[in-house]
Amino acid sequence: MTTVGKQERSVAINPTRACAPIGAMLATYGIHGALTINHGSQGCATYPRHQMTRHFREPVEIATTSLTEKTTVYGGRENLLEALKNIYERYHPTMITVCSTCLSETIGDDIPAIIDEFRTTYADAEDFPMLSVHTPSYVGTHITGFDNFLDELARAFPEKRRGSRVRQNNGKVNLIPGWVNPGDLRELKYILKEMAIESIILTDYADTLDGGYYDPKPHFPKGGTTMAQIRESGSSMATVALQKHIGGRAARTYETRYHVPAYVLPMPIGLANTDKFLETLSDVTGNPISEELEMERARLLDAFVDTHMFNSGLKVGIYGDPDLVEGLTRFVAEMGMEPKVAITATESEAWGKDMKALCDELGLNMNILTRSDLHEMHKLVKKYGIDLIIGHSKGKFIADAEKIPLIRVGFPIEDRFGYHRRSIVGYKGALYLLDEITNAVLSRRGSVVSNTVMDKSFEVAKTAILPAFSKNGHSIDVIQN
Amino acid sequence: MQFKCNETIPERQAHVAIKVGGQCARSDGSGCFIESNTATTPGDMTERGCTYAGCRGVVGGPVKDVIQMTHGPIGCAFFSWGYRPHLADDDFHMKYTFVSDMDESNVVFGGEKKLLDCIIEANNEFPDAKGVFVYNTCTTALIGDDGGEVAKLAQEAIGKPVIFFECEGFRGVSQSEGHHIGNETIFKELVGSADLVEDHPYTINIVGDYNIKHDEKTFEPLFEAMGCKIITRFTGNVSVDELKVMHKAKLNVVHCQRSATYIADMQQTKYGTPYVNVTLWGLKEMSDALRTVGSFFGLEAEAERVIETELAKIKPQIEAFKPRLQGKRVFVYQGGPRAWHWIELLRELGMEVVAAATTFGHQDDYEKILDRASDGTLMIDNPNAPEIIEILQTLKPDLFISGNKERYLSHKLGVPFVNGHTYDTGPYAGFSGMVNFARDIDKAINSTIWKLVRAQARPVPVSVSVSSTEEEDF
Repeated sequence: MTTVGKQERSVAINPTRACAPIGAMLATYGIHGALTINHGSQGCATYPRHQMTRHFREPVEIATTSLTEKTTVYGGRENLLEALKNIYERYHPTMITVCSTCLSETIGDDIPAIIDEFRTTYADAEDFPMLSVHTPSYVGTHITGFDNFLDELARAFPEKRRGSRVRQNNGKVNLIPGWVNPGDLRELKYILKEMAIESIILTDYADTLDGGYYDPKPHFPKGGTTMAQIRESGSSMATVALQKHIGGRAARTYETRYHVPAYVLPMPIGLANTDKFLETLSDVTGNPISEELEMERARLLDAFVDTHMFNSGLKVGIYGDPDLVEGLTRFVAEMGMEPKVAITATESEAWGKDMKALCDELGLNMNILTRSDLHEMHKLVKKYGIDLIIGHSKGKFIADAEKIPLIRVGFPIEDRFGYHRRSIVGYKGALYLLDEITNAVLSRRGSVVSNTVMDKSFEVAKTAILPAFSKNGHSIDVIQN
Repeated sequence: MQFKCNETIPERQAHVAIKVGGQCARSDGSGCFIESNTATTPGDMTERGCTYAGCRGVVGGPVKDVIQMTHGPIGCAFFSWGYRPHLADDDFHMKYTFVSDMDESNVVFGGEKKLLDCIIEANNEFPDAKGVFVYNTCTTALIGDDGGEVAKLAQEAIGKPVIFFECEGFRGVSQSEGHHIGNETIFKELVGSADLVEDHPYTINIVGDYNIKHDEKTFEPLFEAMGCKIITRFTGNVSVDELKVMHKAKLNVVHCQRSATYIADMQQTKYGTPYVNVTLWGLKEMSDALRTVGSFFGLEAEAERVIETELAKIKPQIEAFKPRLQGKRVFVYQGGPRAWHWIELLRELGMEVVAAATTFGHQDDYEKILDRASDGTLMIDNPNAPEIIEILQTLKPDLFISGNKERYLSHKLGVPFVNGHTYDTGPYAGFSGMVNFARDIDKAINSTIWKLVRAQARPVPVSVSVSSTEEEDF
């Protein structure tokens, strides 16, 4: 029986979420030549910057308005005006995001009004694109900041089709991938190219946060969606959002404001979710799914078959962002494994319902928690004798303590190299994940001889080998402790 | 030095100076000493953090057996968790972070009750913890939560010290203010609250060392070999009980003279404990530190014996690196004192500091840089990203020593880099640590990849799909 609950403890211990500004900062990196000003204490810029640098291993630049005690009394208007001026004159960006913080929200600074004031007092800044995004840490999580950014962007920049052009479109698809890695963005662009679809990615930090070594070093990193593309995105034929909780809202904004139809899909991890994504693209554009993609799909099915003797029935714990966890849950079930525990930090009834429906559809028996943390995850890992966990680096302490593999996905991955370049979406992403999971399982087994495994000892066999199957085809709970 | 990037922010030139004829020549031509420890120019791309970071991250965070509780929203706790390797012989403080997780309704209705619940719950989850450190944030300060009062109630409820730090991020101009608050609070709330059972004639505290990558393992055995007994470390690898008896040491040995001189001063005033300022990096300065402590206790001969034995082991190893590093020019940018601590060490390796910068140094830090650096050295206070780029491009140092945030900028500009904050390998302190430091510097400067990459690098390919107006000049 699947249960969906909310963690009741007041104290958060080892949170699996950061706060909102980092989401807006990340999304801003996906626009070529754009910069973020964080309106708050210096730490609110420096901490996320440091976190992004540890994940992407790239220089990350975020400006701060450096609010201090004085500004908490008199307001941060002057600091923000000065910051806007300094960034505008010194960097010549293509666009500026101003994200708020607990501090600037609590003292009540009216950021949009201050931005307007900057425009009027500054001769050539009248049409300069600037975006105010609400990102106080006390509302939501890091995904809230990303989602808010996308919705503000959708409201502010796309140009409306007028007159006879209302029914015309530019033949392009707006793609909102959500919180993914540069590797995922490249995979998504590859899929679009395979299907001969022109797209506008909102937003595309594939190259800005996984850049190259150039001589001379460019002023702004190469890549990113251009402001011209974003202005044009109001004329696209459709918007496809790949995370319900990041970008789903913006997709609907495109629909209501610019008459661009919205398709909000599950994150394309694994077979069924990738099928849905490609079928949607095909339906929207009329373009066929390419032969290459069909072959990748067949290779994934082939790999499901070839690995099932290693993986079937192993119990999996998953933590992270809601759409990621939902996608991974379906995928490990497709692999014949048993997703047993799933937690997210986001407080979302909708996600709980989606997860419950997924479990009912697949006959899964899961323990699901919202607004939960990694300390709770650790307890559940012990309670159910979980065989492997999937999530970001912050869960490594659980893996170390329980001597089980951690399959690294999501953000942040700061204790390994190059994970930001990998992709977990599409059929190829699924194959990568399947290989990664299977090899982690094999490395925990004693030895691999003639494509079969031999366990180190009977001790290992007791926990790692599949217990008896229950009626629905999934293993019976062996609750330890 | 006139920075091109400062044409639109001329006030930054007050934070730039060159050592000329032994004097500080400020680049705005004012004749004053280099400006430091003042408010950051908004939007100048500063590298500075906040007061909370200085208190939670630097001073309080290393204490190994307390519940590290942030009173505020989630982000402050998430970002300050587990990224600084202030190690100990236990890892509870590295593995766990606790936060009262203020949400919108807590902000509206106040978070005092929630904080009390959180402390009690956390203590129930981890009953072996010896106390709770509670760090205040912008949010909870602004809404007026009385964290101090909650700490008192919580202390009664759980029967362990609950210490409240008023380190909200907006206080002060940098993380430096957080160090000060950390010192004052620990001194006021903990130091002197217990007594030491056994007495020893040569007791010392190591003050202002945070045991980055086990630095303390390099120099503590040397003090012990001289006959000293270490009572308390402030705060690397320290327990709450050790902080309580800190006042019992006969001498404070102060390493980080930016973040921890405060507590040595307070201890001197209240308990009459003298302190000595030392550098525990490099051959000469580590030797000087042992001699200084030796002469305080009348253990001069013992100090000399330790120095002689250790140098005999280490010197040949250091000498082996020298020909590979001779004449190399270095830009050192650290939080504070390391910018001057390492000038002599780098000279011992045959290298010369050509630019020195700090994120949150005060006037005394720049006086020490001025004292130690050679004529012509560039000093820059609180440098921002464009200034760092300009330094790397115009001075073309052979090595940049800084932190994670600057590493990849340095890499993109082809400048070899060593992480001085958290160390590439480490430890770097003491005599034996210097071998690690020298090896990492050698690896950075002399790696064969540089020859390949510099020879093979090409300009950014121009993308045909992007309109030329948008990518122009970038």
